[in-house]
Amino acid sequence: MDEEEYLHRFGTPLEPLEKDEVPAKKPLMIEDQIVKDENGKRRFHGAFTGGFSAGFWNTVGSLEGWTPQNFKSSRGEKASKVQQRPEDFMDKEDLGEFGIAPQGIRTRDEFAKESEQEQRTGQRKRKLMQPEVTGPIPGVPVLEQLLRPVRDKVAVRILKSMGWKPGQGVGPRQTRKEKRLATTRNQREKYLLEHYGAEGLPNNDKSRNSECDDDENEENEEEDEEITFAPDDYEPAFYTPKDNRFGMSYSGLSRAPVLSKASDISGAPMQHINLFGQLEMAAKQKQLSIRGQAFGVGAFEEEDDDIYARDDMTRYDFSLADKQPKQKKTQHVQQRHVIDGFCEDKRNTTHTKPFAIDLPRDFQPRNWLLRRSRFTPLDAERARKLAATTEHKKAGLGRHDLNPEQRAQLLGESQAKKNPFKTGTSVSSQQERGKSLLELISSKSNNFTKGGLITTTGEEQPTTTPPPELSKELQQSNSVILEQATAKTKNLASSTPTTGFKPFLADEAKQLRYEKFLASNLQDDTEITAFLADLQPVTLSLWDREMEKKEFVQAAKIYRPLAGLMLDRFVSEVTVQAQKAQVSVQPAEQRKIAMERTKTMWKPSALLCKRYNIAEPFGGALPDAEKEPKAKSKMSIFDYLETSINTKENFQTPSIIPKHIEVSKQQKRLTPSLPPPPDKEEEQQQIKEQPGLSVEPKQAAAAVKPTFVPRTPLEHAVDAARNKPISEKVDLFKSIFDDDDEDQMDTAPAEEEQTADEKLAAMQAALGLPIAGTSAAAANVLRNTSPPRGIFAALFKPAEKQEDKPAETAPTKFAPIEGNKLKIAYKSREERLRNDKELAMAEVPAEQLYGPRLPISQPKQKTASCAEASIDAKLQQLWQQHAPSKRKTENWVERMMSSSDDSDEDSIDSSSSDGSNAKAKKSKAKRSHKKASSKKSKKSKQKSKKKSKKSDKHKKKKSKH
Amino acid sequence: MPAFLDFNCCKTIDCKQGAVRAVRYNVDGTYCMSCGSDKKVKLWNPATGLLLKTYGGHADEVTDAVGSCDSSYIVSASLDKSIIYWDVSTGTPVRRLRSHAGGVRCVCFNEDSSIAISGGRDNAVMCWDIRTRRLEPVQVMKEAKDCITTVLTNEQKIYASSLDGCVRHYDIRMGEMCCDKIGQAITYLAQTRDEQCLVAGCQDSVVRLLDCESGGLLSEYKGHQADDYHIECGILASDAHIVAGSSAGDAVIWDLLEAKVLQRIRISDNGGVVHSLATHPKRQELLFARRRDMYVFSADLQIEEQQL
Repeated sequence: MDEEEYLHRFGTPLEPLEKDEVPAKKPLMIEDQIVKDENGKRRFHGAFTGGFSAGFWNTVGSLEGWTPQNFKSSRGEKASKVQQRPEDFMDKEDLGEFGIAPQGIRTRDEFAKESEQEQRTGQRKRKLMQPEVTGPIPGVPVLEQLLRPVRDKVAVRILKSMGWKPGQGVGPRQTRKEKRLATTRNQREKYLLEHYGAEGLPNNDKSRNSECDDDENEENEEEDEEITFAPDDYEPAFYTPKDNRFGMSYSGLSRAPVLSKASDISGAPMQHINLFGQLEMAAKQKQLSIRGQAFGVGAFEEEDDDIYARDDMTRYDFSLADKQPKQKKTQHVQQRHVIDGFCEDKRNTTHTKPFAIDLPRDFQPRNWLLRRSRFTPLDAERARKLAATTEHKKAGLGRHDLNPEQRAQLLGESQAKKNPFKTGTSVSSQQERGKSLLELISSKSNNFTKGGLITTTGEEQPTTTPPPELSKELQQSNSVILEQATAKTKNLASSTPTTGFKPFLADEAKQLRYEKFLASNLQDDTEITAFLADLQPVTLSLWDREMEKKEFVQAAKIYRPLAGLMLDRFVSEVTVQAQKAQVSVQPAEQRKIAMERTKTMWKPSALLCKRYNIAEPFGGALPDAEKEPKAKSKMSIFDYLETSINTKENFQTPSIIPKHIEVSKQQKRLTPSLPPPPDKEEEQQQIKEQPGLSVEPKQAAAAVKPTFVPRTPLEHAVDAARNKPISEKVDLFKSIFDDDDEDQMDTAPAEEEQTADEKLAAMQAALGLPIAGTSAAAANVLRNTSPPRGIFAALFKPAEKQEDKPAETAPTKFAPIEGNKLKIAYKSREERLRNDKELAMAEVPAEQLYGPRLPISQPKQKTASCAEASIDAKLQQLWQQHAPSKRKTENWVERMMSSSDDSDEDSIDSSSSDGSNAKAKKSKAKRSHKKASSKKSKKSKQKSKKKSKKSDKHKKKKSKH
Repeated sequence: MPAFLDFNCCKTIDCKQGAVRAVRYNVDGTYCMSCGSDKKVKLWNPATGLLLKTYGGHADEVTDAVGSCDSSYIVSASLDKSIIYWDVSTGTPVRRLRSHAGGVRCVCFNEDSSIAISGGRDNAVMCWDIRTRRLEPVQVMKEAKDCITTVLTNEQKIYASSLDGCVRHYDIRMGEMCCDKIGQAITYLAQTRDEQCLVAGCQDSVVRLLDCESGGLLSEYKGHQADDYHIECGILASDAHIVAGSSAGDAVIWDLLEAKVLQRIRISDNGGVVHSLATHPKRQELLFARRRDMYVFSADLQIEEQQL
């Protein structure tokens, strides 16, 4: 009964069926349901009979037949023009509720919601049925359905919802007095704006209207204060921030004709004339304002008619191309952040705030735009600097006093490379030329120059001055020039060839060493080290010496003296040619062909031999070097790649080497002196594989053995047994699939193991294999040796417990067998906990196990350790005692999500009462307990159960301890 | 040894097949073949300059051609990576053999023309059993490290010269491969009639005479220019003279023993590399290829006159 109260019912319940009442008729089938019109006539029928009934029996007539409209007109009463409406041509049904033009009272479209509109009379459907005549595509245009004209902007809609009505202003309602004050203020503002700042002011027609209203209402001043009015619809003046340097309210000249209307509406210079738009009536009432023009019409002048307006060609579009497609795009992007119905302010109104700068104290402002005369004196400091930098330029280093030869000498070019064309140096050649000239031209003329000497006598003088003398002179002059130059360039230390750059100036001794090193001009590395060893102090370490050497060499490379640098950079063409000639001569001498003959085995194919009519060498016993052409029918481009490892021969099956190769101690004990058995078969194979090599088999074995054993005995067994009948393979299968547990239980009777070993030995003997020292299973290195996990671990559990019981000293049995991880040593959880750190990797904590929980075979043991147990455990015990025993049988141990939890619990258990964690647990347990007792919800039960399980485990452990 | 007689130009044939890549005599020297850059091989009568047949079917320049011992077939090598076995009389390709991974540079027949040997830019020498319909090579030798320039064979050996500077002797009888390393890229290889020596034209403008048995260098012949061209060389029928082309538009004939230049055959005054040549198997006659022309040079005019 209580439940009834809480039930909620929706809809009207069906009348309960009474048993006696049998439904009278069968329900009408869908196909039998017929739409009928008022006359009871079938409304829709097949297309061949007209589709659907309309009109009067599908005619335009009526019961009375068709009557034409009567027309009556007289002199006194002329016939009025008859306005025909579509309804005149409609049937009655069409005007009905479900007709084409339903007639009835309903909300107008403007006031109805869109959804309502659609709902009402199924207008959509009708629309679909209406034939669309205008468009080329039949049917209602999709766009028309998708896009609905916006009637109100969002803001307006919001305002409306807040109670605003069109025509009113926005803001709190005002009393009459307040309103009047506001209007006057607004008017004044508007006036000011009109006269002095028309910038960005929209048309204020509405405010003007309100102005008129105001006059009427003036009389009723002393009205009730309680009556409040909506504020005027007044658009406040927007003061646009000034971001240019023009005068107040100045706008630049626009290209549009001065007096045209277009210019004042918007600054767009090329405005398109809308020929089809409405004529602008507003043009009549001209506003007095300062417009965008510099001169022409005075501020207080009325604008003349647009007499000079000329149709400018710039106003016309000459192409259909959209002129600002990109701008539009950017707009779209910008408007992404803008709420629907709003648009972003395009003007950049955010102003960068000028920050005050702390100028340096000695800052002197200077107008950089101010031009300075060339003749104004420079300030002293700058002049000094300039002079310093340009000094050497002024001096010219005497460069321009030198002729090319002299310069060449200065640079050391002529010394280094003799110019064959100028071998005799300039002097002698000049002399010769002079001579020939003298010979050619008649000697009568007196004042000829030769060698720069003017003959005063007038007689022809043979050139007597010997070349050495002249060159001496030249040398002298050169030396003088050199001296001058060095004197001048003394200050420019870095570039002078004599001093050179000093990279190690900081360490004088080092610099000295460096200079000496440079002077020595050594090339050989060992020589340099020897040379530097003499110079370097004893205290310098070997490494330092080496570093210094490197540094010196590097520095010498980088900071070469100028002469060397120049020599490197400029080479005369002649020398280049000479070098070329040398090169061309040299190799002929150098080339000495040393013939080398190498012989290798090569096996001609049998067919080739046949065709050559030659017996195959060695009777065709030659090893086949390449089987490729036979093996592959198709040639591949990759065959020609040198480093191809894709061929069969090159590919080696990777051998899996077990991680732990170290032989366990036990095994060592068992077979202490047994070396790994030599594999004859393997050796033979190796010999076969490398017939060309005459390596002694033993050596080869020795070389191979220590690294790794490529094949285990088992593999050999498999190999050997490959061709045997299945019946004989039983042993092999045994060795493969035999249970490893025998081996795992190391403590198992030795006899068993022996027998197994013997078996194996026998089998191997039968197969003709050397007896392996270990059992096949142990040798089966490919076996997964990791301890069992998950469900497998659980499977192994009972066996362990059985063993656990009888002997209390069991733990020694399950101590981890050192080094023999091959064998799966099974340990109790406790031990695992103990050895947690050692075997952290190989272990899987019990909490991570999942699967059906194993039955708890042991009865609970209440020992003294219980006292030590944590309180939560106690609580859980308590709970367990009272808990229903039903669900004991099968529980699921849930897998813990985090291992940290695990360890926490472990720690709690081991140390019985721990830190905050334990406390938290306690509180949790308490809470859960309370819940369980009060509400006994399922959830809490489960929780507590889990706890109890854990505690169970703990107890067990404790007992073991 | 007969005294050396100067060679004189007997005939100049405009092959009209683009640049002539190679000229070769047939087995007895009565006909000759020219391989053109227009992908065709032409068969000529060198004595009269008569064009006998044109063999077209290659997809790229023909680099070498050789006639079979009975002159009924021609094998041609082309840069289209294939060699074609032509029927001489009908002029139709009998077989087209593709296995080379690069353009084929050279080709030769064994003695009874049952095996064709080709060498290519894929560093491989391939032996083809040409008479059967087998489309794969009988044997492939891929020891060379660079392009094979010439393959030669005699009764028991196959010689392959390569740009890696080695001449490889594949001794079928012994079942061994000898690699004689010269160290210079070998552009051409010719064999003396007595099959004791090889004449190797090297890239360093030296023609070297190699001993087949010991692999020693017997002599060097200098005086021509090889530059970067694949200049061919040859040994005259008398086995006493060695001839080599030159990039300077001439050919040089040396005495085999003295390594002395006997004659510089001025083939053309206006340049053009004389890169290919062929020596007549019996007479003192030479074929040269220069640009688009083939030149026939002969020393024994009398014999010709007698023949005529």
